[in-house]
This record gives sequence, C-alpha cells and structure tokens, in this order.
Amino acid sequence: MTAAKPPAPGALSRLARLPRDKADTLLLLASALLVLAPHALHLPLWVSLLCGATLAWRAAITLRGKRMPRAIVLLPIAVAAMAGIQFSYDTLLGKDAGVAMLVLLVTFKMLEMHARRDLFVVVFLCFFLALTNFFYTQGIGTALLMLVSIWMLLATQLSFQFTGSVPPLRARLGMAARTLAFAAPVAIVMFVVFPRIHGPLWSMPGGPGAGMTGLSDDMAPGQMSSLALSEEPVFRVQFFGPAPDKADLYWRGPVLGAFDGLTWTRVPEQARKLHMSVGAPALDYEVTLEPSSSRWVFALELPRARPDVPGYRVRETPSLELAADKPLATRVRYRATSHTAYTLERGAVLPDAERWLLLPYGFNPRALAEGRALRGLSAPAQRVQAVLDKFAGERFSYTLEPPRLGRDTVDEFVYGTQAGFCEHYASAFVFLMRAAGVPARVVTGYQGGEINPLDGFMTVRQSDAHAWAEVWLAGLGWIRIDPTAAVAPERVQRGLGASVSRPPPFGIEALRGVNPFSAGGNAWLAQLRNGVNAMNNGWNQWVLNYTPERQRGVLQGLLQNLFGWQLAVVLMATAGVWLLSKFLRARRGIHPVDALYSTLCKRLGQLGLVRAQDEGPSAYAARVGGAPHLAPQSRAAALEFLRRYSSWRYAPPSADPRLTATLKSLLSQVR
Amino acid sequence: MAGARIGQLRGWIRRASGAWLPRAGRLDSGEVLISQRRVFILPSKAGLGFALLLLVLLIGSINYGLGLGFGLTFLALSCALVDMVATYRNLAHLRLQQGRVAPVFAGEEVRFELQVANRTGLARYGVWADFSDVAEPRHVTDVAPGAEATVVLTVPTVTRGWLTPPRVTLSTSFPLGLFRAWSHWRPAARALVYPRPEDGAPALPLSGGAGNSLALGGNDDVAGVRNYQPGDTLRQLAWRQIARLGADSGQLLSKQFEGGGGADLLLDYAALPMQLDSEQRLARLTRWVLDAESRALPYALRLGGVRFDAASGPAHQAACLRALALYGMPEAA
Repeated sequence: MTAAKPPAPGALSRLARLPRDKADTLLLLASALLVLAPHALHLPLWVSLLCGATLAWRAAITLRGKRMPRAIVLLPIAVAAMAGIQFSYDTLLGKDAGVAMLVLLVTFKMLEMHARRDLFVVVFLCFFLALTNFFYTQGIGTALLMLVSIWMLLATQLSFQFTGSVPPLRARLGMAARTLAFAAPVAIVMFVVFPRIHGPLWSMPGGPGAGMTGLSDDMAPGQMSSLALSEEPVFRVQFFGPAPDKADLYWRGPVLGAFDGLTWTRVPEQARKLHMSVGAPALDYEVTLEPSSSRWVFALELPRARPDVPGYRVRETPSLELAADKPLATRVRYRATSHTAYTLERGAVLPDAERWLLLPYGFNPRALAEGRALRGLSAPAQRVQAVLDKFAGERFSYTLEPPRLGRDTVDEFVYGTQAGFCEHYASAFVFLMRAAGVPARVVTGYQGGEINPLDGFMTVRQSDAHAWAEVWLAGLGWIRIDPTAAVAPERVQRGLGASVSRPPPFGIEALRGVNPFSAGGNAWLAQLRNGVNAMNNGWNQWVLNYTPERQRGVLQGLLQNLFGWQLAVVLMATAGVWLLSKFLRARRGIHPVDALYSTLCKRLGQLGLVRAQDEGPSAYAARVGGAPHLAPQSRAAALEFLRRYSSWRYAPPSADPRLTATLKSLLSQVR
Repeated sequence: MAGARIGQLRGWIRRASGAWLPRAGRLDSGEVLISQRRVFILPSKAGLGFALLLLVLLIGSINYGLGLGFGLTFLALSCALVDMVATYRNLAHLRLQQGRVAPVFAGEEVRFELQVANRTGLARYGVWADFSDVAEPRHVTDVAPGAEATVVLTVPTVTRGWLTPPRVTLSTSFPLGLFRAWSHWRPAARALVYPRPEDGAPALPLSGGAGNSLALGGNDDVAGVRNYQPGDTLRQLAWRQIARLGADSGQLLSKQFEGGGGADLLLDYAALPMQLDSEQRLARLTRWVLDAESRALPYALRLGGVRFDAASGPAHQAACLRALALYGMPEAA
C-alpha cells in the first residue's frame, strides 16, 4: 500500500507549525531586527554586517534545533567587536560609539538567552535602542516605524507569557494592537500635559547637533559650494502679517571684517553704544531654528531688539550679530521684530573706521591698484557704484562650480575667471571698497526663503546661504550692498534655483522638470512638496519642538476654553452620567429582602440544608419541610419566611412596608 | 537584595490585607466571585525593571531634547498601564468553587479540587493557583469564556481527623508580565483523614476474641470463596471453582472459612491489647475494617460509646472509618 504523500509544505505553513518556543524566538528576532535596522544608516558597515550575520546565526540555531554557542566562543567575538568600535570611533564612550555598543549588545544577547528574565532584558533593551535611533532622525516615518516596532515588541512579550494554549499569531498581534490602541490616547494626554523642562539635566557627551553643518564663522571663497547644494532647512518663519518682498529677506548672520588674503574672519569687537534708527512698519515673526552646532541666532535685517531664545542667553555684538551663549543644539523657537528700513551709525564719522579698512599686505596687487585709482572719485557713493557697474558690465557670471583660485583670490577672480558665487563677489567687492578707502565688511547669513502656501510658513534652507557686503557712507551709515545682485539679480529675487543653470538629473533632459530647485517646473510636484513640507513643519512645531513655552500656551488655551460655559456643560454631563450609572448600579445591586434571603440560606446551610444553586425558594421550602433534624419552631419560621419571600419575589410588587421587619424577626427564630 | 525587599513588601501587604479586609480571614463557602476588592495588584520584578527603563527613557528624552523620545516614553508607560488593567481583568470576575473532597488515609495526599469558572466573555490565560504558603505556584490553567477549569491541589496528610486546606492564592501576570495580580481564597470544604491502616496487623479476630490470629477457622466449614490473596496456602485454594472458571482466566480463588461458629466479627477498641496506645489501636481497627470489607465479612465496631451493628458495604465502611478518624476529637460532629 502506498501512502499518499502530503503536499510539500510551503515555508509559511512550515513556520506556522514550528514548536511554540521556536516560533516565539523567531518573533523576537523579527522585532529586534525591526528596531536594529534603522541604525544601519549611521553604523559602520562592519557593525551592520556583524549584526545581520549574528541574527541569521541565531535564526539558524533556532530552526535547526542546535545548541547555543558557548561563552568561550562568544567572548572572543565580543572582545573583537569592542576593539572594532574603538577602532571605528576612536572611543568607547560618547553617543555614537555608545549606540554602536548597544546595538552589538542586543545582538549578542540573542545568543545568550536562557531564562525568561533574558527575554525581558532583550525587549527592554530594544525599547532603549528605539530611543537612540531618535538621535539621528525624528521624522514622521521614524515615528511610524517606532509604532510598528512597539507593536511587534508587545506581541513578542505577549507570546512568551502564555502558559497553556497559544492563540495564532494574528490573534496575538490583534491583542498587542488593542493594547496600543488603548495606550495611545493616554500617551497623547501625557505628552501634552507632562511638565516639560529645558534640558539637559546634565551635559551628555555629543548631544544632538554635533557634526551638523551650519553657517561657519569664516569664509574662504569656494568653501560654500557644498553648503549651497544642501536642501536641509535651517529655520522656519511664521510672519504675523504679510511677508516682505523676497529682495528684503536678508537674514543676518556672522559679520566678517578681517581678511588675511585667503580667508575672511570675524573681528573681535568691544561692546559699545550703536546709533540706530528705524522707520517703516515693523515685521513681527516667529522663527523655529533647527538644531545645529552653531551659536548664531538669525533675524531679518535689522532686528529692533535682542530676541528671547528660551534656554539660551543671546548677545548682540556691535556688528549687530546675534549670538547665543552656547551652540543651539536643540530646536528653539523665538519671536523677533525687524525693520527692513533702518539706518545704522548715521554720523559724520565712524569711530572705528580703520578696522573696516584694513587689507592684508602683499596680496591682490591689481585689485589694490584699481581700488586706489577709484579714490579719484570724490564721493564714496560713486566709488561703490563704479565697482557695481564693473561687475554688471563685464563678463562676470554666476556659477556654483567656479574654477579653483590660487594665491591672489581677488585678482584671479576679478581679472581672470570672472565666474563665482556670492562669496567671490562679496569678497572682491569689499576688498575693492577698502582699497578705495570706503569702510566695508562682509555679512554672511541667509537670503530669501520659500513660503509654503499650505501653512504659510517660510522655510529657509542651507541652499539659501548667502554673503553680501556693507559699506559705510558718511551721513548714511552702514548700507547693505549685494554685489551678487549686480551680476545675477534673480539670485536675490527668486532664489538660487532660478539663477543657476544646473545639469538635469542623471543627465536626462526630460527629467529637468523634476529638478528639486525649480518650484515652478512641475505644478503637482511642487504641491506635493509643499504638502510634505507643511506636514513636516507641523510635526516639528507640535511634536519635536513641544517646548515648555509652547506647552504653557497650549495649556492656557485649554484652560481658557474649559473655564467657559463648556466646562459647566461637561461637568453637568459628567454628573448626569455618574448619577445615572449609580442609579442603574443600585437597581442591579442586591435588594435588602434578597439579602435577608441569602442570610437565611446561609443559616439553613449551617444546619445541614445547603441550598443548591438551581433550587428555587419553593423547592427549597419543600426540602426544609421534610428535614427531620430541624427544630419544629425553626422549621415553621423558615417555611413562613420562604413563603413570604416567594410571594414577594414572584408576585407583582406589593407595597408591604413591614415585610423586611417581618422577615427579620422570622429569621431570628431560625436556629 | 531587591528581590528580598519585594518579598518583604509582599509579606507586609499579605499580613496587612488580612488585617484590613474583613473577609480575608473568613472561610469562603459556596461559590466565590473574585470581585474587585479581592484582587490585589503590584508590579512584578520585570515591571520594576520596566519602570527603570521608563525613567532612563525619560531622562534621555529630556537631556537630548528628543520630542519623539517623549512620545516613546509615554507610549511605553501607557502600555504598562493598559497591561495593569488587563492583568487585573485576567483574574477578576472568575468564580471559584470547591469540588468534592474524597477522604484519604493518613499518609496519603488529599486532593482538593478547585473549579475555576469563567462566565465572562474574556478568555483568561495563565492563571496560577496554589496554596499561599508555596513559594512558586505549581498549577497553571487557561479558562476560555464560558468554560470551567479544574485545578487539583494536593496536601500531604500525617494525622487523622479533619483537614482544613490552607489558603489558596490565584495569581496571574498575563498579558505582559509587568504586573502580578493575585487573590486569596479560603475554601470552606475540609477533608476527612482516616487513620493510617496498620501495616502487618494481626489477622481479623474472627473468633470474636482479640489477637487470635490463628483463628482462621477449621477446615471443615467453607463459607464461600473469595479472590486469592497473597499468603493463602495451597490447601486453601478452591480448586474446584478455579477449574470451573477455566484455565484461561488465570484467576485463583481461595476457600473462605467460617470460624468461631458463625459469630459476627466484632472489632472492639476496648478488646485490643492494653500495651497499644490509642492511635495504634485505631490503626489496627482501620486495617481490620478494610480487611473485613475486602472479604465481604459483616463486621460490628465498638468504639468507646459508639457502636455500629454488624454490616458491610461502602456506607457502613465509611461510617466506621469516619468514627475512627474522629475518635476522641472535640469536633467529632
């Protein structure tokens, strides 16, 4: 007789028929993988590969039913991995190395799980690992991944808790999902009301912002080209009122006054009183600054007052830079008021004029000579105009990929390549101005910004980084001159995307419309991008940057709304529901007569006449009547009690106010 | 160290709960509903570990200013709270009832049957049950909605008499193991423990006198046959009856002799040798009751003032053994 061969089991059904402990272990591996995977983006490749191999090894051990490797095998691998971390990070401490160690720890712990306690250890470490991933990314996608990870971890922990029958995986996932669904509202309430404080409680090694790019404090023409390409947001602005023209959007950063021939750097200055006057309407706005390693607080030229940045002390330098006392490593939000029309140091003389006229000795002889020649023009304003005309008239071009410059950067740029971007123009312009005897300095910062029509927030990105110039003219004060605008006016009016002709993506001409810089290139794409930006901004504003200040605002708003008539309604509704539920519960509760009945049953039970669960009062009475060992008086009282109780219970309610008392006295006779 | 602390705390709560709960010290008769006030709940060791984890998550979120970290922390905390409610619900509103308790002989184990009924719509998993004085509970059961589960708890016995079972604890850590909920139950049913039958007791006093072990009767009066018992001599085998059963059956029968001129078998406490103490006498009487019952001999028992007329059968045996078990006890009722 030939037995019919069962159909070859598919991989899934084979998984479903695994013994329970194996299935649980595989589930744990899957959950851990979910938590570990996003770390691969920042870990050294060898760590990711080692982790992947270890998890695969663990899965193979489980599936084949092999023994776990012994400590003597694991220990050398663990030591080698530690050495590898030391080699890769140059330290075993610090944030990044610590996260790498944690990743390896969780992975190796999988090979060393013996008791139930180890499961808890692994699951808890996975929770912590999920947190460390937020050092690197906190986007909406990360949040969704976190939710899925927690879901899987809950399902895993749940699976290990069964002692008898185990529901199928889908049912367990459902249980975990229900737990999450009940937990989510509570978590949201906690998130909103849990008192927030400004961290850190103590300084931790390598907080966020370490290694992040920002505007640097110096400028060597050519350095900014990579910065200009980054689409990373620097800050977002919400204007309370109409946004100003794009051409007025100069976000002032570090002011560079010292030039050594190659690099412009900041000039240390003594604090002194500035003469400043403002006109035109003020612009009120709120800036949300992304975390970075720099200390610069950006505001539109010119801010009327130092903005209050929560958690930091902001200082205003005589060059009107705004600097925090420490790197702005957290996302901060501050309000500022600026005037686009202003005068600065509008006197007849500039007290520290000589510091804005210094030039390095022995650099850029041609430019120096041309600048000296400009002194023939009696009015400084004419000298300024002459240089701007020179930039506009000759074959100067704007490009993000200028040729490399040698020793005399200004000479080579002005008389040679004639191609560059804002740094080259600002540097050359200020050099020429100083040579012509006009006090001048380079101002760096951001220019422009993109308004998102969906939520009205303006986003300023790293690609908006800009350098311009300021010259001081007697009677007018410091005046902003943007020499780049003389060459590529659209850079200032429409942004970088408009001014640079970029190669199409992947060299495919048809993809030119997908160019991320051209907002107008593809309408629906632009709309999609705006939608994503608005979502990200809302996420940043409400989740990632839910600061103590914002919390106060939210809670105040809540309280104000609550203490109106709504509160009264809510309170009354609550009271009504409470009373109703109490009423219903009283009806469901035990009636005093029933309570007496149950006392009687108990007493008769002690006398050897236990009432059966399904025995009604009449049947019980029949049995009580036939019981020989009951005292006659007791029996009579009990029977009378049961008769009255039965008629009360099953007849229409008769209002006998003395029933309870009668029953009580009867009860006392049953002994 | 921490474990010891928790143990101390648990012990304190256990003692305190006995003091402040009026019901805790009393016996629970009939069906008992595990109501809300009967359920206690505390974090388990894993739960305390989880609390530590939450603290670390919170500090990390504050220190590094991780907005999403706060989200993770609060979500994990909320899951623990949900788990607390779920653990409570996994135990609450179960109904407990004591099953029948069969009498045993001293030295055997009493089996207390504990019926756990689930009349709710919620499936219960991993409900542990054992006596409260046991360090680690040994019995675990699931109870499906509308179903009942039976847990058998055994208690070793040493002495005869009534045995009241120790307090029973039901506990659970399901679903996530972060909390342990428990409830105590003092079943009212008690077990009757018969005296331990004497080993190597003298044979039944068939002549009516005590200690006459050779009174296995003259060979002439065959009263009947009974199953062969080890120790029966070849002479005693009832060959004719065995042959009638056929060789295949392999069954041996012995002749049953009627000694003492057909007088009833009287098992008399007072007639036993004086050198035996009362427990030894009860042990011997117990053995004789069993022997007489197995040989289907009617026997009478005289135990102090209590007399049982000669009879046989399970009811008679039970009555006699009960009297032997409770002899001299104040709670003889």
